[in-house]
Amino acid sequence: MEHKNRPPLGLILSGAWGVICLFSAIFGNFLPGPKWDDYDYENFSSPMFTDGHFLGTDTDGSDILAGLIHGARTSLGVSILSITISLVIGGSLGILAAYRRGWIDRVLSMLFNVMLSVPNIVLVLVFIAIFSSPDISDPSAGLPKWIVLIASFTLIVIPFLGRIARSSTLSWTGREFVLVAESIGMTRRSILLTHIVPNVVPSLISIYCLGAGLLIVVEGGLSVLGLGFDSGGSWGSMLAKNRNELAFSPHTTLIPATVIALTVMSLNYFADYLRLRIDGRESRI
Amino acid sequence: MKFKSVAVTTIQFVIVLFLVTFGITLLVRLLPGDPVSTLMPFATEETRLELSKELGLDANIFQYYFSWLGDFVTGDLGTYYASTGDGGGVAVTEMLAVAIPRTLLLMIYVIGFSLLVSIPIGILLAYRAGSRLDNVISNTMFTISAVPAFALGLGLAFVFGVKLNWVPVLGYEPISQGIGKHIKSMALPTVSLAIGYIATFSRLLRVDTIATLREDFVTMASSKGLSNSWILWRHVFRPSSSGILTVAGLNMAGLIGGSVFIETVFALNGFGNLLAVSIATRQYLAIQSLVAIVAIAFLVFNLITDLLYAVVDPRVASHRGA
Repeated sequence: MEHKNRPPLGLILSGAWGVICLFSAIFGNFLPGPKWDDYDYENFSSPMFTDGHFLGTDTDGSDILAGLIHGARTSLGVSILSITISLVIGGSLGILAAYRRGWIDRVLSMLFNVMLSVPNIVLVLVFIAIFSSPDISDPSAGLPKWIVLIASFTLIVIPFLGRIARSSTLSWTGREFVLVAESIGMTRRSILLTHIVPNVVPSLISIYCLGAGLLIVVEGGLSVLGLGFDSGGSWGSMLAKNRNELAFSPHTTLIPATVIALTVMSLNYFADYLRLRIDGRESRI
Repeated sequence: MKFKSVAVTTIQFVIVLFLVTFGITLLVRLLPGDPVSTLMPFATEETRLELSKELGLDANIFQYYFSWLGDFVTGDLGTYYASTGDGGGVAVTEMLAVAIPRTLLLMIYVIGFSLLVSIPIGILLAYRAGSRLDNVISNTMFTISAVPAFALGLGLAFVFGVKLNWVPVLGYEPISQGIGKHIKSMALPTVSLAIGYIATFSRLLRVDTIATLREDFVTMASSKGLSNSWILWRHVFRPSSSGILTVAGLNMAGLIGGSVFIETVFALNGFGNLLAVSIATRQYLAIQSLVAIVAIAFLVFNLITDLLYAVVDPRVASHRGA
């Protein structure tokens, strides 16, 4: 406990990694150096630190560092956008269900339970099939890949966040300050906005970080199945594209795998830290 | 009271089962494109008409659902149409006969291996709670558990498959090919999936064991002069183990989904593979039957865990009875 005022080392490292990833995701386009889809036709599968490529090139001669920088935008973008939309929709539905009770609560809870009783990986595969191209021999027709992924991810995460928001709201609606607010005649809408939402949101934030990490993993896994981004367009896709070359140029697969792992680790650290902070606040009350 | 809670759980189970299978039927109907020309572009008009009838394209959703349900419960899971597109194919049940044993074995190995490793670790960490060893191992496990199973699998495949050449990198060997070969082919997928569970299980067992260590009967046993290891294994382990067993049961169900990626990475051709390929190639009938099987398995595991929980931990039953 002697480090009370200093943040733990894991958190500092996770924060630094998070900043690097966010910087790449936002400003990656403006950085100098090769682009991820510029193929260097003279250097296929270069090892790290050779031929003018810091992390080498993959089997197509595509620069790995550039791929990682571009992948930060797609991988983080898809996962953060999906989890944010789910947080807004799922959170609102959960709070609504718990605060209104009655048939709304019964219908929503049943819907969440039914969706949660199919393993989420299986459900996401089904949603992706629904949103993808109508012509199976032409995968590029129909919606762009990132919209397909965001829509599918959002749909599978909503029941999780909805259920957590519902149970968290239930634990607040019976508190004295809510009863007092009701008895002095505050409207339901203003009770929700001023008393319930500000207390429920913190309990969702740690899940938000965990979920963002989980979605990066799911996107990677989908790429392995050939259903994620194409030809090295995301971290998972880089890993999937090069995984058959594991024996010959292992760095092309293991570097993106490491980057995914580091990002998920950082997000887990944030989640754990936030959970402890919020639990601590709760227990002090 | 106890009977009533079992009855309520079972009725809820049936309702959810019904809604889930109906939901899947709806979702499969929402798949884009024309199913008949996707599945058999080169078939004769007659075969196409048969398929369109089989898929219930001329019936409404309720009629179709009940005819599908009738087929499903009598063991007719539909046909997996060949990629030649001329209407030929294999019965889904035939493909499942190959795929399900592989996936079931993988699940059993993962849970078994995770328990085998996490029980000693959990007990040790509880016994040394707060020590440097506890801190180092707990933090390491928390960190490693963040590595996605498929990424870990690729790393392990590189080290143990490519560099050391101890195990094959791809493919499944059935037990009939020799138990050694079988274990070698399953070792990497098992370990890659197990790492995350080992972290969860040992953390849980650590917490439960610390709570048990504070009980009076432990103080009593140690004041009788019994050895520490005797107390830990004979007095402490059993009352601390109900939490970890429940979580193991629940995770067994989650593994059905989790094994999809790992089966593809290691080319095991199990259930997860079959499901992923069916979805990618829009095998309308196969998707519906396979997702229904997953959902049923998932719900059954959850139900059994729920019911067993009351049996294993008497406190749960008495709370419910009260």
